[in-house]
Amino acid sequence: MDLVALAEDVREQLPGGAELDALGRWTFMSDVCKHCVEAPCQQACPTGAIIRNEFDNVYIQPDICNGCGYCVPACPYGVITQVPEDGRVFKCTLCYDRQRDGMEPACAKACPTNSIMFGEVEELKKVAEERVSTLRAKGYTQAYVYGTPEVGGTGGIGGNHSKFILLDEPETYNLARHPFLPQAKVKGSFITSAIAAGVLSAVVALAFRD
Amino acid sequence: MADATRETLQSRNGHLDDGSPETSHHTRTDSKRDEKGYYGVPPIKAAHWTWQIPIYFWIGGIAAGVQLFTTLANVLGHEDKALTRVGRYTSLVAMILSPILLIWDLGRPERFYNMMRVWKLRSPMSNQSWSLVIYGNLSGLLAARQAAEDGLLGRNFLSRLLIQLIPAKVLSILALPVALFVGSNTGTLLSATSVPMWARNWALMAPTFLASGVSTALSYLSLVLHLGRWGEEKTHTVLRRAERATILVEAVLVAASLVRMGRWGKPLFSKEIAPLFVGGTLIGGIAAPLALLSGKETRNKSILTSVLVLLGGLAFRFAMVLGGRISANDPEAYFSFASGENAPQPEDKV
Repeated sequence: MDLVALAEDVREQLPGGAELDALGRWTFMSDVCKHCVEAPCQQACPTGAIIRNEFDNVYIQPDICNGCGYCVPACPYGVITQVPEDGRVFKCTLCYDRQRDGMEPACAKACPTNSIMFGEVEELKKVAEERVSTLRAKGYTQAYVYGTPEVGGTGGIGGNHSKFILLDEPETYNLARHPFLPQAKVKGSFITSAIAAGVLSAVVALAFRD
Repeated sequence: MADATRETLQSRNGHLDDGSPETSHHTRTDSKRDEKGYYGVPPIKAAHWTWQIPIYFWIGGIAAGVQLFTTLANVLGHEDKALTRVGRYTSLVAMILSPILLIWDLGRPERFYNMMRVWKLRSPMSNQSWSLVIYGNLSGLLAARQAAEDGLLGRNFLSRLLIQLIPAKVLSILALPVALFVGSNTGTLLSATSVPMWARNWALMAPTFLASGVSTALSYLSLVLHLGRWGEEKTHTVLRRAERATILVEAVLVAASLVRMGRWGKPLFSKEIAPLFVGGTLIGGIAAPLALLSGKETRNKSILTSVLVLLGGLAFRFAMVLGGRISANDPEAYFSFASGENAPQPEDKV
């Protein structure tokens, strides 16, 4: 897009009939932890290393993680990574250390255009909604907030605390449209397991008849 | 763009298919842009699990089935000392090997005891750790009594005390549900992830793993008893009958799983996995043993059947784990799975 024209809020026809989008497009997103409201990685973690800390962030306690790696395939966003040289898993901590000292995360602090914003989830939600209305008024009708219970937070995840304003389909940003909470099915799996155990016991018991 | 700039870009970044310089704009002329996703980068990450995990799944399944068969024999009044002995020692060995394999696979093995910090019912990995602790202790007690009965601990006061104090029948009955949980939870562990191939089959994953566990266990018992020329005539007859029935149950569950997995089950038939899954499991581990079990019984044929079923079960677990890796690395599979109604939703009924 013509970034200068966009920044200057140019609405009228550009010289030579050039489109605002004529330079192609850039789709930006920071690929950080989404801090799911119901976090699959936290539910998967068998050691209790993954917790919600006092700032309501999903946080891996590095002194407890034993590197079983079960949170890795549980994460619906492919965020958590196991580091082979270390053995443990890591992800964005939302600068827990800085937050404890009353500072905002380094990415939000460093971002010169304030594209990355940090604050209370409810306030950020309002900011995002306002920004989307502004973008739509400027003609970017495809803009929307990703990470709400409607898009990007269905299937039991209940939305994300990290929200993103996207200008294209979620898949373009390598995000699933409706990620799901895998642990929602553990109870169901217990029930079918119990039925299977009963059937198999009966089948084997029947083999003992004379 | 100035010619000099264009040349710099071309020499640095190479060209697109149409000869234009590659920039970070990724316009529609970029042939890679039109596929869904982000240049084929997997949107989720696969589990790092190495060979220890499928082997553990196999051993855990065998332990579950061995406990099922020996407990039922005990409860239904079929006393076969050789069967009981093999069963108890097998459970103990399986419960020693399982934690070793699982701890081996940890990124930080020395921290294995952190699994015992909490018990989270919604984490199959946590349930698995605790069920192994419980079943491991119960099988240890049962094996201790067996060792005392067999005189392995000497004919002394301790042995008599162990025989008197360890209530074998009660313990085997208590151990049965825990063992069956160990066997089925190997399937739950896979299905409670974001991997399309595993998550899609959440209802049948655990039953299929348990059925396969029981069939491999029966084959294992039959193999050991045949090789040692142990066991009563009736034990062998019952084992043979039970083997045939459980392989049929397993075949039905595997077929139902494939139907349920649908397009997300494709990795099982990929070039890498098909020899394991089709050759090892479907033909070698299910079809061939069923054919062998229907004819006249001979010792050699029984041994061959048992080996085939055991290898088929092992191939099944490797195929499932490796297939899950392919599934997790396939953006199209994950996006199509997590785009609408295909993925498991909380409001789904069992």
